[in-house]
Amino acid sequence: MYLAVNPSDELPLYRQIMRQIVEAIAGGRLKSGDRLASHRELSEQLVIAPLTVKKAYDELEALGFIETQRGRGTFVSDSPPPVDRAGRLEHIRRDARKLLSEAYLSGLDFGEVAKILKDADREIARGPRREKEKV
Amino acid sequence: MTPVLEFLNVSRSYKRGAPVLRGVSFSLGESEIAGLLGRNAAGKTTLIHTAMGLLSPDSGSIRVFGLSPTEDPVEVKRRIGFVSEDQVLPPGSSVAELIAFHRYLFSTWDEGLERQLLDRFSLPRGSRIGKLSKGQARQAALLCAVCHRPELLLLDEPAGGLDAVARREFLETSIQLSNREGTAILFSSHHMTDVERIGGRVILLDEGKVRLDRDLDRIREDMCLAVVPRASAPDAAVIERTSGCLRVRPVFDDWHAVMEGTPETARRQLAESLGVDGIRCVRVPLEELFIELVGGER
Repeated sequence: MYLAVNPSDELPLYRQIMRQIVEAIAGGRLKSGDRLASHRELSEQLVIAPLTVKKAYDELEALGFIETQRGRGTFVSDSPPPVDRAGRLEHIRRDARKLLSEAYLSGLDFGEVAKILKDADREIARGPRREKEKV
Repeated sequence: MTPVLEFLNVSRSYKRGAPVLRGVSFSLGESEIAGLLGRNAAGKTTLIHTAMGLLSPDSGSIRVFGLSPTEDPVEVKRRIGFVSEDQVLPPGSSVAELIAFHRYLFSTWDEGLERQLLDRFSLPRGSRIGKLSKGQARQAALLCAVCHRPELLLLDEPAGGLDAVARREFLETSIQLSNREGTAILFSSHHMTDVERIGGRVILLDEGKVRLDRDLDRIREDMCLAVVPRASAPDAAVIERTSGCLRVRPVFDDWHAVMEGTPETARRQLAESLGVDGIRCVRVPLEELFIELVGGER
């Protein structure tokens, strides 16, 4: 998979890495059992501090997305993290209302929002486009 | 575990001058990478020189690997690597002679790493140092600073005057060393994006004191800038008393206050303490925060 980080982005680097890995899992680009680059490999490829990669991996592991097997490496977990499905649905409904209000206040109509959602769906399935760095 | 580098209340002044370091304390652990920031004359170079034992502190103590750099200079220097912007290399020596000299000095010299870096930098071995470009000279200095696999790398504005590609190569080499050898790195730089990229932590010097020392992630997530209308407070001290306020300065018709916490909590805290509305709090990039913390009045 491809990862790209932008040091001047508002989001901390470790969160940029977390977001991209979660998106790759959600979009099916990373599957259960897939091996991730090691801390060292990823830190050297992205030219960022190794502790930053460790922090991203630690958080993802605590959330249940990935697991580290001593001596073997880091892998995507067999089962996605357990979710409180009803609670999660409620959360998504609230976010949907928030998204629509923001869009309508910016003068977009429903069709345009639907198109933005489709684009986002494609991006999650394909991965980031600009400034690709192989992982 | 003994810290790799430790400053305890270190002060230092030059003859007949104002103190350059005024009670500096911090410590750096194994594999830690910290960016040393500060305006010109904030004391960055003096700090690095005292860490190397080139200058002794007037008061306070410095420990490198648990040792004193002035009492155990040989042992300490054997385990440190150093590169600075204005480092003077012997102009008449060839690249090969310079490297051979360092190889002779250090028993831990890694010839594999030496070959790897010579290839990566494409340094012409036969050229005189004086004939190298600025970028090549800095690469030669970096090679000599890292091939003995130091436990602490001190970089004083190492990328000054280098182009983007050479700077990136410099960072890559430093990251690799930290990864493979657990080397701790303290580097001063005016390139904010370099610090944001490889520095896990930022130490900000201002007028010889550490004004801020924390993880970059925490700076991004837990600090913000508040813009308070000038009429809301009679002077800066009133705002500075608010809990979580790090610095206030007047900027045109407003006060700018650097606050701990998210914009929401900072706004609430200021509104409570000043009893006014109309305060804007926003997250700002590291460079802006830096200017707010050490910049003057406007």
